[in-house]
Amino acid sequence: MQSDVVVQVNQLSKKFCRSLKRSMLYGAGDVCRNLLGFRSHSDQLRTKEFWSVEDVSFSLKRGECLGLIGPNGAGKSTLLKLLNGIIIPDRGEIRMKGRVAALIEVGAGFHPMLTGRENIYINGSILGLSKKEIDRQFDSIVAFSELEEFLDTPVKNYSSGMHVRLGFSVAAHLNPDILLVDEVLAVGDIAFRAKCRQRIQELIENGTAIIFVSHDMHTVSYVCPRAIVMMKGKVQYEGVTPTAIDVYRENAQTRGAQLTAGTGEIRITNVEKLNNRDEKQEGIGVGDFIKLRIHYRTSEQIDNPIFNIIIMEANGKQVSGIRNDYDAQQIPSISNDGYVDIMIDHFNLLPDMYSVDLVIFHSDGFSFYDRVENAIQIKVNGGRQINGTTYLPHSWGWDQ
Amino acid sequence: MMREFLGSRELMWRLFVRDLSARYRQSAFGYLWAVVPAIITVATFTWLKKGILTGIGDTEIAYPAYVLSGLAIWKLFSVGLTKAAGCLIASRNLITKVNFSRETLVFAAFGDSLFNFLIHFVLIVLVFAWYRIVPSWTVVFVPVVLVPLCLMTIGMGFILSLANSIVRDVGSSLSLLMTFGMFLTPVIYPPPTRYPMVLINYLNPVSPFITAARDLTISGTLSQPWTLLGMSIFGIILFVLAWRVFYVAMPRVAERV
Repeated sequence: MQSDVVVQVNQLSKKFCRSLKRSMLYGAGDVCRNLLGFRSHSDQLRTKEFWSVEDVSFSLKRGECLGLIGPNGAGKSTLLKLLNGIIIPDRGEIRMKGRVAALIEVGAGFHPMLTGRENIYINGSILGLSKKEIDRQFDSIVAFSELEEFLDTPVKNYSSGMHVRLGFSVAAHLNPDILLVDEVLAVGDIAFRAKCRQRIQELIENGTAIIFVSHDMHTVSYVCPRAIVMMKGKVQYEGVTPTAIDVYRENAQTRGAQLTAGTGEIRITNVEKLNNRDEKQEGIGVGDFIKLRIHYRTSEQIDNPIFNIIIMEANGKQVSGIRNDYDAQQIPSISNDGYVDIMIDHFNLLPDMYSVDLVIFHSDGFSFYDRVENAIQIKVNGGRQINGTTYLPHSWGWDQ
Repeated sequence: MMREFLGSRELMWRLFVRDLSARYRQSAFGYLWAVVPAIITVATFTWLKKGILTGIGDTEIAYPAYVLSGLAIWKLFSVGLTKAAGCLIASRNLITKVNFSRETLVFAAFGDSLFNFLIHFVLIVLVFAWYRIVPSWTVVFVPVVLVPLCLMTIGMGFILSLANSIVRDVGSSLSLLMTFGMFLTPVIYPPPTRYPMVLINYLNPVSPFITAARDLTISGTLSQPWTLLGMSIFGIILFVLAWRVFYVAMPRVAERV
């Protein structure tokens, strides 16, 4: 192990059992074997078992911050628990140097009946701080949480945001060599989140190595220069964060199932992404031209249908929508098969993976013939991730 | 293992204080609740003995004092074991989310029972004073006799807490067992002298300790020294082995709690 490498993980694997009863059985068996000094057959898959983390290897140096991203159930939290020593691996090895702290759950061991003050001490001891260390940092912890007024209020009366603030404040004073953070910054208000990010930045500068799990791509791209994408327990990609985010988004999108609804006299059969020479294209750049060609099939004559496309971010937030009736365009009566084109001259959305929902409304603009969710994905390529979704065409000027 | 234990003394104390102060915070009678069940039990059996349970032989000291002393020790064991067995499940959230020495939980749970015992002790002193019972000077050795009992309880607690995490039946059957266990222990009656009832003195792991503690308090001579010695050695060995088992098995159990 090199001198400045603090975390070294080699071919780490961990499996879980889908069936509770079997899991109990295997657990009892393994414990007995371990006690008698036999090898537990835990490195092979038995009935109903699956790998939650499989063959994961990476290393981390002092002052480095590694992002860990992937869809739900990809094994991110399991990996953190393995690193923290809460559960033991079935295969592979973990080597770590220094004091490890984990923010897998903030406010671990908080007792609802006790006051904030008492809980700071309890939580601190659980996380491994001595009474002396807590005494010394008590004021700083309280100041960080901004909960001075509520210090002698039972924690059960705290809001969930206050709960998290108190928990994070204690954890932020651990000064570990290795910090594992699992999706805890998502709660709390904007100001507090900014404070947490700042604190993490400070820790990195002081040489703490951080592994950071989050679904918030903006935070990941801010905090971590390097990231790992996990899919179904395996490492899908390891490298620079922007590429990792692209890989994650592509995978997350293709996972979504298509949903169809509507009265059905007209059905969308296919959607194409074309360039200005009517050739198919995949990824586009910010501000590029894109033509969406919507193919349909009708079972009878349709008068003045209304085509609507809705462009959404991965988290389901609508970014933009286009409707021909809003654009004062009337599509005449249509029958048989055909297509409708929507030309977007400048697709001014920032690098990300966008999904497109399609709806064909009756001429009343309310009931609909067909609705296809996640009909197509538009990938906008690009380098640096900038906060936001939209590129505003602009120019600069200055007086000197 | 030992170093981890010493390192987590502070945490042990914190967890103990946490559970204790949280339990009675929102109650008017506070710590009195720790002895209310004992008072009711003693009152019930004292009353029953007058009319229905006349078969219970005469005791060397006033019956309420006799029952109370036995009950305090029995509760030290039964409450300690029940709490220890349930402590891993009660702290499930902590075990699956934070890495710390888990023995702490078992020790802290037993500490709860020890505190309970101390409160009972105060009550015993009051009752003894009321009946003007002067204990023998050998009463100072009672704590020595109780140490192996504590170790045995913690040892059993280690094993049962693990088992309970994997199969919940353990906890349910334990509370059932403890209710009947009290009647199979010389708590409300003097140690039996005739077969087959005399087996209670030998097969019930708590009996020798209760008998010995009473002997030391009242007469000053141990009536069953060898059973006491055997059970004490058993308790100590169980404690050491169980701790080791707990230490080895905990990581596998943690993921299944």
